[in-house]
Amino acid sequence: MTTRVRPRRGDPALGSIALVALGLYVLFIVVPVIMSAWKSLTNENPLLARADFVGFSNYTEMAHDSTLAGSLGFTLLLAGSVTIATNAVGIGFAMLLNKTSLSFRMMRTVAFLPQVLSGVIVGYVWRYILARDGILDNVLVSLGVIDRPITWLGSPHLAVLSVGLVATWGLTGFTTVVHLAALQSIPVELYQAAMVDGAGRWQRFRRITFPMLAPGTTISVTISLITMLKLYDIIAVLTAGGPANSTQSTALYIIQLAFTDDRYGYASAVAMLLLVVSIAIALSVTALLRRREVDL
Amino acid sequence: MAQKRTAPPPVVSVPRRNRRAWGTRGHLVAAGLLTLAFVSPVYLTIVNAFKTQAQIVRDPAAPPAPPTTHNLTDALARTDRIVQIGLTNSAVTVVASVLLIIPLGAALSFWLSRRSARLRGIVLAGFAAGLMIPPAVLLLPTIRILTFLHLDHTYPGLVLANVGGGYLSFAVFVYSGFLRSIPGEIIEAATVDGAGTLRIWRTIVMPLLRPATATVAIFLSLWIWNDFMNPQFILGPLHGQTITTGLYLSVGQFSINYAQLFGVMFLAAVIPVAGYLALQKQFIAGLTSGATK
Repeated sequence: MTTRVRPRRGDPALGSIALVALGLYVLFIVVPVIMSAWKSLTNENPLLARADFVGFSNYTEMAHDSTLAGSLGFTLLLAGSVTIATNAVGIGFAMLLNKTSLSFRMMRTVAFLPQVLSGVIVGYVWRYILARDGILDNVLVSLGVIDRPITWLGSPHLAVLSVGLVATWGLTGFTTVVHLAALQSIPVELYQAAMVDGAGRWQRFRRITFPMLAPGTTISVTISLITMLKLYDIIAVLTAGGPANSTQSTALYIIQLAFTDDRYGYASAVAMLLLVVSIAIALSVTALLRRREVDL
Repeated sequence: MAQKRTAPPPVVSVPRRNRRAWGTRGHLVAAGLLTLAFVSPVYLTIVNAFKTQAQIVRDPAAPPAPPTTHNLTDALARTDRIVQIGLTNSAVTVVASVLLIIPLGAALSFWLSRRSARLRGIVLAGFAAGLMIPPAVLLLPTIRILTFLHLDHTYPGLVLANVGGGYLSFAVFVYSGFLRSIPGEIIEAATVDGAGTLRIWRTIVMPLLRPATATVAIFLSLWIWNDFMNPQFILGPLHGQTITTGLYLSVGQFSINYAQLFGVMFLAAVIPVAGYLALQKQFIAGLTSGATK
């Protein structure tokens, strides 16, 4: 039996497995995007057994759709504010928990715990906490911050705030851990030198910590943004998009159009818009942040 | 006469040793309080599962006195057996999906690592796009594709959709990142010895990639377990339940029987929480190494 030395580029067996992986990916990511683009040019409606080509009329309808405009506004507001909030808190939390003793290790373990809960559970727990006369109201009333219970989820503005709060809470474990890792890569000598020069705490943060955190911040912010743009579970369970569609993100709107209103064509058009917006935001923010990263 | 320059003496209003002790203890207390406050919703999830409805309403924050397992037993005794069904289906879905994604992702990453940098860049960019695309955008066509394959509203269909989607992107990125740190000489040497590439992959590369496999397995298991959207729409409420959709179904929109809710939630959350506490080192290690994408 002769052993054939396989040429470096001839990997038929490995190549076939790789091809299966690539094929599945193309089938479930690339093809759906193309299908969505095609569907967006039709008025497909499964209930009415309709699927005629209608050109760009879905897109012109989108331009006048105030629900869509509202959902986009909410989605972008949510994504932007929660990303900033959760990363600010994450950096602070990471700095707070960045000590080696056992108690701090336990705190770090516990701080990441919210990340392992399903979005559905997060939604239900917070619905319980934010209920009128629920725990949060009781705490605030007993602390004297407010004198009457607030319906956190009952009015449009408060619901938006509540969703932002819950989403921030949900993401903070992640941003904290990423920044903790980044913190540990900052050389201590930099701080020592700064303190010898008389730099105060805020200056040390602004000139050393924050810039040196940049690689961690880039990843954390990018993933926070992407997560917020696609967020569904928490909102669906917490407010179901209400009250009065005030917390209906574009993702929720697409699901409603597709599975409640049965307007597959129009849903696909809105989906294409969300796709373009998401990728544009993700790419530009990542590029901007990458430029910040300090070359060591 | 030249004067030696020294750093200005630090201004302290309190004897140095006391100040440091207070600072450290204050730090610990502050950190502890903030952490507790941050984690209180999780505390509530656990604690309220063991209180009666009356207790929950009366004393939301207090620990159960006395603790009761009624919520749990009631949840398990439901005639629709939704907890058992949900947990089983979640477990099966997770195991099947992860068992498929790992070899596929690892093989693809290894195959890519042996190709030109340009091809690698294009493919990885394509996979990056998969991570950025909101799943809501892909749901409708995915269901259509599964219908075409006669797999719509089935568990195999759900697993297939899991394998072909954003989860695979994560695996490919983690494996590609780890592969960059494997010296090429090891693989070259094995190739010269006449070993086929598949064998090299199985016997040399995969053992070296064990930390990557751990990271991928842990996070994908967690995310697929907690996934709500895919089972809800791909599987569909009438054709099956995972623990997430089961929870959603059992609660309904306006139910306020908290005891029941917390009972089911506890059973849904206990496995991820226990898994995390048992494997926390791997969780954190995986995240921080993945952060060097």
